[in-house]
Order: sequence, then structure tokens, then C-alpha cells
Amino acid sequence: MSDLHRRLGALLGLIALTAFVSGAGLDAPAVVPAGIALLLAVFFQPGQRLAERVEPLWQIAAIGLALRATFHAVSPGGDPVLPMVDLLLLLLCAESLRKRDGTGDARHFALTFALLIASAAYRPGPLFGVIFIAYVVCATVVLVTGHLAREAHSYHVAAPPPQRAFLLRVAALSSVVLAVSAVVFLFFPRLSEGWAARPTPPVARAVVGFSDRVSLGSHGTRIEANPEIVMRIEFPGGPPRSLRGLHWRGRSYNRFDGVNWSRVEHGMPRVSEAQAWPGGIVEQVVYARPLAEANVLFGLHPVIDVTAISRIRPVRLRSGDFVYTGESDPAYRVRSRTGMPAPEQLRAVEREHTPDIIANLQLPAVTARMMRLADSLRTSAPTMYDHVVAVERYLKTQFDYTLDLPSTRREATLDHFLFVRRAGHCEYFSTAMAILLRAGGVATRNVNGFLGGEWNEFGQYLTVTQNNAHSWVEVFFPGYGWVTFDPTPPGAAATIAAGAGSLGRLRMMLDGMNHRWGKWILDYDLGSQTQLLQRLAQPFSDQDRTARAAAGRNGVSRWPLLMAVALAVLLLLSVRRHRSRTAPSAVSRAYLTVRRAWQRAGYPPAEALPPLAFAASVTGAPGADAVRRVVELYTAVRFGSAQLSAAEHSELRAAAAAARRAARQSARGSVVPG
Amino acid sequence: MSMANSAALRRRLLRVRLFLRPPRRLRMRRPGAVLVAGTFVLGLATLNTGNNLLYLLLGSLLGTIALSGWLSEQALRGLQVRRSLPRAVRAGSHVRIEYLLHNRKPRWPGHGVRVRELHAPLDSASPHAATAGRPDFGSAFVPVLEAGGQCRVHADVTADRRGVFPLHGLTLSTGFPFGLFDKERDIALPGALIVWPRADRAVQPPRVSGRRGVRRLSGAGAATGGERGDYQGLREYRAGDDPRDLHWRSTARRGEPIIRQYERDATEEYWIVLDTVAPTAALSEEAVEVAASLLSVAAARGDRAGLVAGSARLPPLDGGPRLEAAFDVLAAVEMRRHGPAPHPPADPGSCVLVTARGGGGNWGDVYPVGAQEPR
Repeated sequence: MSDLHRRLGALLGLIALTAFVSGAGLDAPAVVPAGIALLLAVFFQPGQRLAERVEPLWQIAAIGLALRATFHAVSPGGDPVLPMVDLLLLLLCAESLRKRDGTGDARHFALTFALLIASAAYRPGPLFGVIFIAYVVCATVVLVTGHLAREAHSYHVAAPPPQRAFLLRVAALSSVVLAVSAVVFLFFPRLSEGWAARPTPPVARAVVGFSDRVSLGSHGTRIEANPEIVMRIEFPGGPPRSLRGLHWRGRSYNRFDGVNWSRVEHGMPRVSEAQAWPGGIVEQVVYARPLAEANVLFGLHPVIDVTAISRIRPVRLRSGDFVYTGESDPAYRVRSRTGMPAPEQLRAVEREHTPDIIANLQLPAVTARMMRLADSLRTSAPTMYDHVVAVERYLKTQFDYTLDLPSTRREATLDHFLFVRRAGHCEYFSTAMAILLRAGGVATRNVNGFLGGEWNEFGQYLTVTQNNAHSWVEVFFPGYGWVTFDPTPPGAAATIAAGAGSLGRLRMMLDGMNHRWGKWILDYDLGSQTQLLQRLAQPFSDQDRTARAAAGRNGVSRWPLLMAVALAVLLLLSVRRHRSRTAPSAVSRAYLTVRRAWQRAGYPPAEALPPLAFAASVTGAPGADAVRRVVELYTAVRFGSAQLSAAEHSELRAAAAAARRAARQSARGSVVPG
Repeated sequence: MSMANSAALRRRLLRVRLFLRPPRRLRMRRPGAVLVAGTFVLGLATLNTGNNLLYLLLGSLLGTIALSGWLSEQALRGLQVRRSLPRAVRAGSHVRIEYLLHNRKPRWPGHGVRVRELHAPLDSASPHAATAGRPDFGSAFVPVLEAGGQCRVHADVTADRRGVFPLHGLTLSTGFPFGLFDKERDIALPGALIVWPRADRAVQPPRVSGRRGVRRLSGAGAATGGERGDYQGLREYRAGDDPRDLHWRSTARRGEPIIRQYERDATEEYWIVLDTVAPTAALSEEAVEVAASLLSVAAARGDRAGLVAGSARLPPLDGGPRLEAAFDVLAAVEMRRHGPAPHPPADPGSCVLVTARGGGGNWGDVYPVGAQEPR
């Protein structure tokens, strides 16, 4: 028992270390040596002499690491976390390789648990869930075996040998711990205001992809793909019919200096497209990662409103962009219109240059040939809408999409794009369209966001990665507000894709797990709690009953049904309990089955013949020895208060089987009893 | 308030106390205290940071505590205990109390169950009063008791002083499954442990029938075998017989102890009177032990000795049961600081007085306890 307990203890340390690595990676220098030491401790225990020699080394190393951690803690700008983890790992290894007594056992458990707490601070992925279950199971077995070994030692009795069935039962009992963990996790009120906590640092800052600036100045290389996920979007009311070409609008820019786009907040027309536009409402629940560039909230244009799910505060700007304040990962609900104004409606709109739109007509220094191109595109269009569509079509059809950047800074201009290179990425297309339209007197602005995404069948949500970052144009139509136009050639930018092939499906599945882990574990909060409770209470609410009655189903409350089921379960348990109380022991059962078998072969029933007389009555018959042995063991236990050993139990089972077999043969007539 | 009223009130309070007495008690061990404190601290940290994984870890600690409570309850539930006590034990000796445990649960084995005597009566208003001077009852330990199984365990008892010690019940306790808490359950199981006084003091045999005087309690003439007359035959061993008189060959042949009997063994008949008044507790116990030793000597010699101790009176009769009854009387006798002198139950010349306060009057023989020199 002691050896098993020691090995399992080392295994527990390994599990805790894995949990830490799943969150923090291999940052702490002691992780790899600690892993090797713990693995060693599973299979090997140093002898008394070696342990005594090594002990001073542990102590010296521990003092050194403690001093190092203290130094990091007191030095300005120092981070004591990793030195503390190193110290923790050293102590854990020392404890795992020592011979443990009761105090050492508690210390060992405390160290492994501290490692688990440390790993929780790193927001580990779903692997942590699996490791946590393994940890609880292993810790339960370790604590139980350790306790039994210690108690037996203190009373100078032999510790019971570790039996597989016992260990399995104890491991199964850890489900109680897991169940309580789940209940605490789900229902413990999330009242945290973080009065003394450090804000959770954003762990994934986007470097390539969405950027809160549009600049044509980049040159000399190729834009690399970046599959990092920036947001996952669920559609509670079901996804839109077509997911292709969904523009997840982020930020808009209205001032262009020839290279960079920027924002001028004054002079923005305050419009409400959502009221003027036709169509229904599509709801989106967005779980996003914080972006390095800006605290932007994304949604389908036009957005009606945004409500926060996580601890953020959405703010609507005059431009119609949504930003937020707060430190947690943004999770929010967006309601948008599904349709857009019909072309006929937009054709009827005349140009109108109100003072608050002037800023969106600003032009940088444009070349003469650019002006000529703008004029040529305008003259053929009878209305403003046709003008816009003509420019969009021109760029879409006459230009190519490429992620290759221009070679030199001189080539990274709009003029070079329009008249020499005739290829570029989305920012060139959107800038070209915006400037060509402005040159023709149409108010436009450049918009950044994401296009499309990847639909996850397992999780039923849309995954948007940095690869989906996109730039497009919004054109102002008086009476309708800003209308989206995208001049980038179709097929070039990322659109809706689904995981294909077994690898793609696996990736989707893992991403689905990640999403659920983040949504239900890492970001589970008061809102999620309320939602869960409402969902649990829904089947019993009056509204639900009314709804079901309206749908033609039985409107009877489900409470009586639930109570009836609960009563039935209690009754069943009670009957089982009564039966198990009155059930004969294993020895009695074996004896009674033998008696019944011989009764069928013509011998008197158990009520008519006492056990010893029965054994005597079968003397001489085949199987008599087996019967006699069963009776001996039965009487020893039943009347002699004896306890059977494991070997005797096996013997009893074998003898009972042999006795029954003999009785069956006797009943068939192959053996004549007596 | 009158005496009757106050007694009624005490009874009522006792009933309330019994009603409120918890069926189970939980004692925290050091690791358990650390775990509870750690859970509290982690709870604060969890509430503060709002880290959801900490909620999960907090839940696991609470789950561990809950599992500990549940399993310890399962370990103690459904256990039946029977106690096997020796007829009596001699003060200063070590004995074993045997317990037969039966686990009536059909599925759950009992793990790590400790059995010990309940130190206070279950219905006592002042539990400490009953524990003063009690023997040191050890505890018995059951590593595993299979479902439906039985096992015998024992506890070692050391009794330092004589007395009749009522046993009120047993306390079953377990630290299973994690050793964090000790859960206890009381079982009412009345009984009594009789501790006889020591009877190994070297005393000279009493002289009766006119050979009056003050006897030494010890000394050169303290041996018990010099005045026993001729060898008469063999008889069965009785409690109090001198083991040196065992006839080993007959004992081996018959499988039971056989003793040599001498001519004088059946000739003397006298009373041993214990004066139950003694100035100190030490002298009280010494007097009782001298009386017990005299009874032993008498039995070894075959004398028919009666006993008077306080209100108890056992007439001189022969036989082991009679001697055991006499020891029972001495185990239970209450010594006092003040009181009247004892009266001889028969002719004073045939009575032997054991006293710690001097005097002797017309007694046949006087054994003064505490006197340095014979008077």
C-alpha cells in the first residue's frame, strides 16, 4: 500500500505539472528537470542512505530559489511568479523523492494543488479540463491509500493490500468531488468585482490582420497569412441564409492624406440606417479576442444596438463605429438589419452636400490622370448609385488581387496602383474606390473589418480569423445613410469555408471544444449563470406552459411529473436498500444455490434438513466432497462468526459450482443419488 | 427553589441535553484544519479575481470535504459491536477487552474504524466526574471490515487502582477516507469493569483461637507455607491459591490446574474485618490491599475466611466463587475519612482486623496499616 501510494503521489505531481505546462508552457526553467524528477519518482525511490545524503542539497537549492524569488519580488519591475514556480517545483520534486509521513503527505498534496492554482492564472485551454479530472481521481486515491497506510502503521497492524476493486471504487468516488466542483462552478454566484486583482492580460494580440489604420505605404514583402482566431460568432436565431460576403464592420476613416487614412470626428453625419433600411433583424453573439490596435466591436452593418455579455462597456461613436471600455475579453450581443435598400431606392437619391458630410469629400493631392479616370467613370452613370456601381465594377473587373506588396515606397502609391501595377490588396481597392468617388463628388469613407469566416458545423458558429481582415467602402446616400460597397475582386479575399477532410474536421472539432471551454468555463460569469438558471427553469415557467399550450401540446405543469419521477426514484432506492439489507451474504447465497440445485435433484429442501445433515445425506454421491466443503464454510461463517479469506472465497465459489454441476448431472439421471 | 424542584429542573435539562446531543461528532485534525483554512482563502481569492478555473478548484476542495463527510459516515454506519469483558482484572495488571464488530452494510466495507470505551456516561450531566481514576482504556483498530463481515479486535486496558468502573458505551471513530477529520459515533453498551485490589502484599497468616497480637505485614515470617501441617491430597485450583502449590504432573495429566492440599488447609475459620476509615487515600488503598492479601493467604492455606467491609458481610465459606465475591466486595468498598469503629461480626477472638487508624480492642489479630513498627 505504501509503495503504491508513493508512486501515485509522484504521478499526481506529474499531472499537476502537466496542468501547469498546458497553461504556461515551458517558460519556467525548472519545468523540464522537474518533469524528469517526477517521472523518476514514479518508478524509483532512493534508499535511506542516498536520501539522507541528498537532503542537504534539496535544502540548499530551496534556500537559493527562495532568495531568488524574494529578490525578484522586491526589485522594481521584477516578476516573482516564475521564480516562485521554480521553487514550488523543486519542493514538489524533493517531496516526491522523500519517504513521506503524514505531514509530508499533506505537504505534497498542498504543493500539487498550488501548482494547479498557478496554472489557472494562465488561462489554459480545454486540456486543463481533462487534466483536472485526472488530478481529482488520482488525488482521491492517493489521499485514501496514504491515510490507510498511516493508520495501519500507527496501530502496528498490517495495511490491507491494495486490491484493484478497492482502488477502482475509490477512483469512482472521486466523481463526487467532480460533481461538487461542477455544482460550485455553475451555481456559485459570480460577484467578483476584482477589487484587488490584476486585469487579465490579453493573451493573443493580433499582429497581422486587422489594424486600426489603413496605409498604402507598406512595401517590400508579402503579407503573410495569419490563421489566428479573432472572434467566434453565434447566431441565436439561426444563421443568415447566405454567410458568404458578410462584412463584419469595425472602424471607419474619412480623411486620406495620400498614404494613410485617419478619422475626423467632427462633421460626421449622425444617421440611423437601421430605421430606414428594410428587412428583419439578425442577432449575433460575438466572442472576440482583444485586438492590439483598438478596442473595437464588430457587427453586421447596419447595427441597431450592442449589449455587453462580458465585463465591457460598449460605446457608440458619432461615426456609427462601436468601441468598448473594460479589460475583459469582449463578448457581446449585436442586433443588425438583414436587408439593404433596393437599387431603385438608391437610384432615386440625389447628391446632397450638407455641411456635416463635407469631411467625407476630402481629397488628397491627386494626379491629373486620376481625375480624368474619375470623370470618365462618372459621365457614363446617370445617377449617383450607378456612378458608385460603375467604379466598384471597374475595380473588380479590371484589377487583380495580390498579397504581394509593392517593391519600393515609390510604387506604394494609389496612382501607381491605378495606372501601373493594377494589382494590390484590399486596402488599395477600397482606397481607390473611395478617392475616385470623392473626386466625382460622392461622400465616401474607408471601413476596416473582417469578411466572411469559417462555419464550424460542430459548434454551429462562424470562426473569423486574422486572414479574414478586410477593407471596403461605405458611400453616403442621404436618407439611407452609409451603404456598403466592396470593390475587391471576389474570391480573392477569404469567404465562407468549411473544414474539409478529416484533418479539417478534427481542426473544427478542436476549435469547437476551445470555443465551448472559453464560453462555458473561462468566461462563465453572472450573465451565463442567469442564462443557465433561466434555461433550467424554463420547462416549468408559465410562459413555457402557455407557449406549449398554444402549440397544441399539453399545457399541464411539469412539476407534478417531476415530483412523481423523484418519488419513484426514492421508492426504487428504498426497495433496493431493503432488499440489500435482507439479502443473504455471499456465503449464504452460495449455500442456498447448492441446496436448490440438489433439491431439484430430489433431495429435501433447506427448510427440511439442517446443513450438516444435508452434507451427510449426500455422502457417497458424486460432488459430495464439494457439497461438504460448501457446508463447512457456510457453517463456519454463519454460526462460527468466521471470516473467509480471499482464497477461501475462491474455494467456496469453485466448490459451489462443482456441487451444482454434480446436482444437475444427478437430476439428468446420469448419477443416481444416494 | 426547593430540592425537588431543582432536581426536576436538572432532569429536564438533562433530557434537553440528551435530545440535543449530536448523533455524530466531527473533530478536525491538523491537515483538515489546514484544508478548511486553505479553502476559505482560495474562496476569497476566487471571489476577488473572478477566475473561473479557481471556482473549479474551489469546488474540488469543497467536494473533498463533502466526500470525506459522506464516506466517514458510511464507514461508521451499520456497525454492530459486542464487547467481551474479563470477569475482573487485578489492579496494576494489563488486560485485553475484546470487541466483535459486525458490518451489517451489504455493500460498503468499513475502513479504518477505531473502537474505544466511552469515557463518560451518555446521560451524565458532568462527564468529567466519571472519568476520574478510570483505567486507561486503549483503543482497537479495524483496518478493513468487509461488507457483511465480522472481525474481532482488542484493546489493551491498564487498571491502576481498584474499583467498579461502569462502562456506558463505545465510541466508534474513523478518519477515513482522507485523515482530515475524525468522525465519532457513540453506541450505548452498558457494562462494568471490576478491578480487584492488589493481593500480593506479603502478610503473615492470621493467628486466631487465643493467639492474639499485632501482626507484621511483612518480614521474615511472612511466608505462607510454614504452618500448614501435613500433605493431605490434591484438589482443583481455586482463585487465590498459591501457584507454588500447583501439582504439575497432575495438572498436565488432567489438563486443568490441580493443587496440593495440606492438613491445616481446612482447619481454620475466621473473619477478616476491614476498617473502612482511613486518614489518607493511600492508607485506604493499602488497607484494602492488605485485606485482599489476607484473603489470598487464607485461600491458599485452605482457611475459611469471612469478610466484613463496611456494610458488606460475607460469612466464612469455602470455594473460589466465594473468594471472587470477596474480591468484588473489596473492589467496590468505599473508604471514608471518619466513621465509627467496626464491630466484630462474631467472637472477637476469631476476627482479624485490618485498620489504618490504630486500636484493636479484643480482636484476634490486628493488622495495622501505615504503622512502621508493630505495637
